[in-house]
Amino acid sequence: MIRFDQVSKRYPNGHQGLDNLSFHIRTGEMVFITGHSGAGKSTLLKLIMCMERPSSGHVFVGGQNLKDLRSHDIPYLRRQVGVVFQNHQLLFDRTVFDNVALPLIINGTPQDEIGRRVRAALDKVGLLKKESLYPIALSGGEQQRVGIARAVVHKPALLLADEPTGNLDPALSAEIMALFEDFNRVGVTVIIASHDLPLIAKLDHRMLTLSEGRLLADGS
Amino acid sequence: MATNQNQNKAADKRQGKAASGAARSRHSWRHPLRSWANSHRDSARLALHRVTDAPFSTLMIVLVMSIVLALPMGLAVLIDQVEQLGIDWQRAAQLSVYIEDEVDAAEAGQLQSRIDELPGVASTQLLDKELALAEFQQHSGLGEALQQLAYNPLPNVILVMPESIEGGSSALRPLRDQLAQLPGVDEVQIDLLWVERLTAVLKMFERFTGGLTILLIIAMLLVMANTIRLAIESRREEILVVKLVGGTDAFVRRPFLYLGVYYGILAGALAWLLLIAGLSWLNVTVREVASLYQSDFVLSGMPVIDGLTLLAAAMLLGLAGAWLAVGRHIREIQPQ
Repeated sequence: MIRFDQVSKRYPNGHQGLDNLSFHIRTGEMVFITGHSGAGKSTLLKLIMCMERPSSGHVFVGGQNLKDLRSHDIPYLRRQVGVVFQNHQLLFDRTVFDNVALPLIINGTPQDEIGRRVRAALDKVGLLKKESLYPIALSGGEQQRVGIARAVVHKPALLLADEPTGNLDPALSAEIMALFEDFNRVGVTVIIASHDLPLIAKLDHRMLTLSEGRLLADGS
Repeated sequence: MATNQNQNKAADKRQGKAASGAARSRHSWRHPLRSWANSHRDSARLALHRVTDAPFSTLMIVLVMSIVLALPMGLAVLIDQVEQLGIDWQRAAQLSVYIEDEVDAAEAGQLQSRIDELPGVASTQLLDKELALAEFQQHSGLGEALQQLAYNPLPNVILVMPESIEGGSSALRPLRDQLAQLPGVDEVQIDLLWVERLTAVLKMFERFTGGLTILLIIAMLLVMANTIRLAIESRREEILVVKLVGGTDAFVRRPFLYLGVYYGILAGALAWLLLIAGLSWLNVTVREVASLYQSDFVLSGMPVIDGLTLLAAAMLLGLAGAWLAVGRHIREIQPQ
């Protein structure tokens, strides 16, 4: 599903985001990316999303070399991917329903199907009753779950999460992780960048540990 | 064995689910036109919300744009109407052929019929000098004084109506020269000069309006572009999120283009109303002035076709201004 082939990323300010990184994630895997802040976790996710381009090396997503992707193809890549952000990235002037419906509206899903799919996604994260509220009326954990519903509503084959439990207490964090495991169980490839080592240790999944842009360890 | 079967069933179910998901997304692919139309409808509705959600700022923008539009359009309409008046006057253009004193009435009559036969002459009229003098005595109030004159100072005059006045006095010059060659003709005058002066002045105003229109169109494009740029800037967060979940530039652009179109239509409609009101307000004084000149000239209302043109032009300008703003600006907003 995802292959990094000797990927380096050097930022214009001289910061080395990734340094000669190679790994392979198979379809249906659930993988944690860990490391200190600045170790390159976010850079890795951004490269998969084509928000950044590597300075050297190749990134393959679903067999597609992202180097061959022209900028007007990028939106279509992103439609195959669901992303969960630490700061949720919700639109505060739209209801929970409209926030979750956004990816479906973008990929041109018929109107009647949008309602069905949005409610299914909200049901999955336990927020079915809050669809007509605005995100500001929700707690942090609920906002994060709206973000997750939005990431999975269009049934992406790949789910990325950048510090999804960053601002949540341990109990809520465990809940969120359990959700990700559920999605992984139905075949979605899940990649989670997190530095919440105690939580990750409790879950039995592959773990890529980064340090200063290099792969320090790969295993569970 | 049983568990194995169950697992297989679950796997089948899962596959079936995935397959139907794929089938559904293909389904939406099979109707690209419908989803494209849906997206347009959504964008149009979204833009309409943005217009109605901020009625005050919408009103301000639309007012500025409608004034910018109404100014050149109003001038054009006015000039057009005065020009129409000028053309009516030009139709009355004629050549006055002054006959030499020695020519008597009978010879003048023969001259008239000769002129009548010339090519380019529509009709002629002989003004007999005795009749003219009598009329002059009656109307000028100089009756007594004129009777003291030993002779009639007025010449016989033949008024010549040309067939065509296209091209103004220069086109009539050959005819004038031809008439002047005729025996017994003293002088030929083209009574068109003042109409030509009016036309020239109107031409000047037309040019002025043309220049003004270009400037004001540029102004309107800039106002529009700036308005849309601000609208984009205030939605930067939203644009970033939309791009992150796979929205194309075209998808992001669309509501803003619709916004420009709405502003344009509203401004065009308001400008039309302004012009209708302005013309009827002006008409009060125009009627007074015209009556002083024994004319029943009034400004006719704004022609509907001009109004529709105004509306269409305003809409296109709104779209063009929005396009100017979205082109680079939206491409530059990239998630980091």
